[in-house]
Amino acid sequence: MGGPSGGNNMVDARDISGKQKQIAVSEFFEKNKHFLGFDSLQRSLITAVKESVDNSLDACEEARILPNIVVEINRLKGEDVELITQDNGPGIPRDAIENVFGKFLLGSRFHAIRQTRGQQGIGITGVVMYAQLTTGAKTRVISKIATDSSAVFVELGLDTRKNKAIKSKERREIWIDEGTGEEIRHGLKISTIMKAKYQRGKQSVYQYLRMTSIVNPHATISLIVKGKDGEIIEEGKWMRTSERLPRVVEEIKPHPHGIQLGTLQRMLRESEQRKMTSFLRHNFSGVSVRAAKEVLSVSEIEDDRVPKRINSEDAKKLISSFQKVKLLPPPTDCLSPIDDLLIKKGLSKAIDSRFASTVTRLPAVSQGNPFQIEVGLVFGGDISADGPIEVLRFANRVPLMYQQGGCALTKAIESIDWKRYGLDHPGGKGLPKGAAAVLIHLASTNVQFTSEAKEAVADNEEVFDEIRKGLLEVGRGLKNHLKKKDQRKKAKEKFELVNVILPEIAKKTSKILGRNEPDLAPVITQIMNAVFCEEELGWDKERKLATCSIKIFNYTARARAYTILLKWPESENVSMVENSKGGRKEARGIWAWRLDTLNPGTSTTIEVALSGLGKGDWTDTDVFFRGNGDIIGATKIDEKILEEIRKSEALVAIRNEISESEIQEISEIVMEDREEKIEEEIRSDEINIFADYEEVSE
Amino acid sequence: MSGVGQRKTKDEVKEALKGIAAEMHNKMERGVPPSMTLPVRAKTNIGFDNKLGVYKYGKKKSTRDATSLGSARQLLRSLHVTEFIEQMIDSGKSSTLREMYYISEAWGHGKFGSQNESNNLAEDLEIVTKCLREDFKLRPEEDGARIIGNVTFEERNRKGDWMRINCRDDVGDSGYGVPYNVESEKLSLVEEDVDFIMAIETGGMFDRLVENGFDEEARCALIHLKGQPARSTRRIMKRMSQEWNKPIIVFADCDPWSFRIYASIAYGAIKTAHISEYLATKGAQYLGITADDILAYDLPSDDLTKQDLSALDSELTDPRFNSGYWKDQINLMKEIGKKAEQQSLAKYGLDFVTDTYLPEKLKDIGLGY
Repeated sequence: MGGPSGGNNMVDARDISGKQKQIAVSEFFEKNKHFLGFDSLQRSLITAVKESVDNSLDACEEARILPNIVVEINRLKGEDVELITQDNGPGIPRDAIENVFGKFLLGSRFHAIRQTRGQQGIGITGVVMYAQLTTGAKTRVISKIATDSSAVFVELGLDTRKNKAIKSKERREIWIDEGTGEEIRHGLKISTIMKAKYQRGKQSVYQYLRMTSIVNPHATISLIVKGKDGEIIEEGKWMRTSERLPRVVEEIKPHPHGIQLGTLQRMLRESEQRKMTSFLRHNFSGVSVRAAKEVLSVSEIEDDRVPKRINSEDAKKLISSFQKVKLLPPPTDCLSPIDDLLIKKGLSKAIDSRFASTVTRLPAVSQGNPFQIEVGLVFGGDISADGPIEVLRFANRVPLMYQQGGCALTKAIESIDWKRYGLDHPGGKGLPKGAAAVLIHLASTNVQFTSEAKEAVADNEEVFDEIRKGLLEVGRGLKNHLKKKDQRKKAKEKFELVNVILPEIAKKTSKILGRNEPDLAPVITQIMNAVFCEEELGWDKERKLATCSIKIFNYTARARAYTILLKWPESENVSMVENSKGGRKEARGIWAWRLDTLNPGTSTTIEVALSGLGKGDWTDTDVFFRGNGDIIGATKIDEKILEEIRKSEALVAIRNEISESEIQEISEIVMEDREEKIEEEIRSDEINIFADYEEVSE
Repeated sequence: MSGVGQRKTKDEVKEALKGIAAEMHNKMERGVPPSMTLPVRAKTNIGFDNKLGVYKYGKKKSTRDATSLGSARQLLRSLHVTEFIEQMIDSGKSSTLREMYYISEAWGHGKFGSQNESNNLAEDLEIVTKCLREDFKLRPEEDGARIIGNVTFEERNRKGDWMRINCRDDVGDSGYGVPYNVESEKLSLVEEDVDFIMAIETGGMFDRLVENGFDEEARCALIHLKGQPARSTRRIMKRMSQEWNKPIIVFADCDPWSFRIYASIAYGAIKTAHISEYLATKGAQYLGITADDILAYDLPSDDLTKQDLSALDSELTDPRFNSGYWKDQINLMKEIGKKAEQQSLAKYGLDFVTDTYLPEKLKDIGLGY
């Protein structure tokens, strides 16, 4: 992974506070405001909101509180804008307020090997600084922690020479909610005045919060923007769709594959271990005793050397032997994916669509950095069909709003041949067009950006490949959806034709001619000449059951025998409580019914009901069949996919018995297999489509 | 197809319509999807009928059968229309195509999706039954032409009385309005004192010739076509040409669409090729504006658009334009890449068209005065 290309232009803020105290922090801020996100009036406001909301979300997550965040923006005279943000988080203890709001923590935050939102910004200090520099305003803070009896009210400014906050007008008081009149038990409110400009559109506070709400389904976020006369300019409220907080992420030690010489030397210098093996084992993840010994022997370094005394020559040897020795991958519990079901919920709350497909990939590792990709695709509904699709990019749950074109996430989307998946993709270049939006979330302990502006993810082969795989998976979902939609439309038309129009024609001709109505059964068989399958998902309100009924019609001239397979969301909590036709479990989440012979002109219905699901949880499914001749509305089962499902079942079964690292290896094998299967399936899908087409056009 | 003038009796019309239902019913009894057979209505399926001197549909047939929802709906509509026509014949009523479109609201799954659909279906039924729209008691919405000149008609008015109208003396500046039905039961051609009949595409030019008194000066009747001429306009021209033995001259813009207007008058339109011998005037002549005229008179012109060019190309493969004259004109037009309106003649003054252009052009075709 290459270092951020813009990094060289950047002065490390810690250096300013440390060695180069003579340079004012304000000067550093002035020089770097482009990287810090304060380069234009419009962007400054977004950055300020972002710093504040990111902090709130991180704090709530750590304190296990479901966040309620309110953002208020008021236009004042001239270019002055008042920004107020409030959360129900844990609050900040009185003595920590100065540090949180008064110190540039820029550099040190990047060194924590853990997935946090805060990695990406200059921190709330930047907001205090910007406000002070542009309007001279102090930042007012109200902080209440649950264990204190009253809240701290304080105004903050910055001593730009000392990189230190200056407190004023500090007092303690009961904090009463203006709306409800009740005491606020814990939370944080920040208000300040800065030069800024509120603008609508793709790069706006509104869009930032909308995107934030998609990847934070556990948060309720609201925005109100008022003009100079107090009139409401823009409003938004995004309610939480999940009560589940993201899990607490563990901090991990760096992995040898991602370490650079400078860092290694610093670690050696600061180490307290007396032996090299213990240094390696205690300071890195993924290094077993055996691996540590191997590294040392490859580097030709004695185990009893004191780590503090390792010279740069030997450190270089260590770095190169890290690449030669087989190491365990770093643990991945330091990552916090959103979870595909929650992404689906988040997307459907922000975008009204007909179809949503999401996937959370298994964690992967690039040069010692664990990362995980999540991809979502929504299609149809209210989404505009003109122009390129909407791209929603996220790194560690933080929306990326600028530099879309230069971002590896965008490039991965552009690298897919979307025509194959049913989207318009002129020339196969750039973004596809159509009524779709694609979401990509990169969760990583070390997101590499193209520059310190941290708006575009840098190219990385492993990350790129993972995104592509995720996109192929959701693309396949879209393709199936469109194919099914098309088949359904055709089937519906045929049903209307034979069940409604044809009988009417017969009635009319009989009436006009004064003759008997003809027997239509042979005519219908001739017109349809196919087996049709129609599934309908429903909700039994009274018994709180999700239902599915599958109807199979044989409109061919000969008898047919099939096995019908249904995909259902089988899990610990979800079970099949009703099943009209028995059948058997074929694999996890796949139920099969071997049907009696279906004579020409007859139909049969399978009914099932599932418990453990909520209303609207089961909105899309797949029906497969096994047997000769096509069924319109169902897909011929690919035995390879069944095999793959069984394999991952086996994986789940052994998960408890073996160590994590072994699982990693097995899952990699399974995943590789699976990807091949998907590719193959896509190819066979195409063949199937032609088969269907011929069937219909006959 | 029965010849022109051999109008069908009510019973014959009803019988012909029943044939449509019978084709469908018989098929269903045999266990196959009901269908309706129609000639292909495209330029690839029109051919010159030597006997009639006009273009008629060829042998290519298309079958509309109930294997797709759209076609099945069309069949059901046809049956509803059949029934509706029978009712009108029995009760002595008639309706406009538009009225039929609204009446179809009550036809459930047989209702029309658009006015265009009902117009096309009426034509389909004409083709299949070899009857005329008039036999079906269906009237078009379209505007008939205006005529000015020394010709006299007798038209049966609403009271059933015959009214004598001279198109020069008994009409105002807008001329005589041609009714939608110009068959002998409604209109008869009484007398004339003209040498030829000139059909004019645009209203502006028609009014110019009227104001300049061209009808009297050149001893002709002027007909305003109002763009693509309605069936009754083409029919009355056909009758005037046939019954009075007068030449028909077409004076239109110089653009591909105007050429098609001419072709529909002289040879028959593709859409109504089933009744070409009834509507088309064999021997109608195109006077101008021609591509030659643009050059010869140095007329103000516009560039051909993409659509114009593809229309011209399409005409090159249209059998109706398969003559040396038209191929030359179309190719020349493509070569200069220009088109011109009739009214561009005003470049040389308001009287230029009547004093110079038309006399010169008419002289060329032997109608000098």
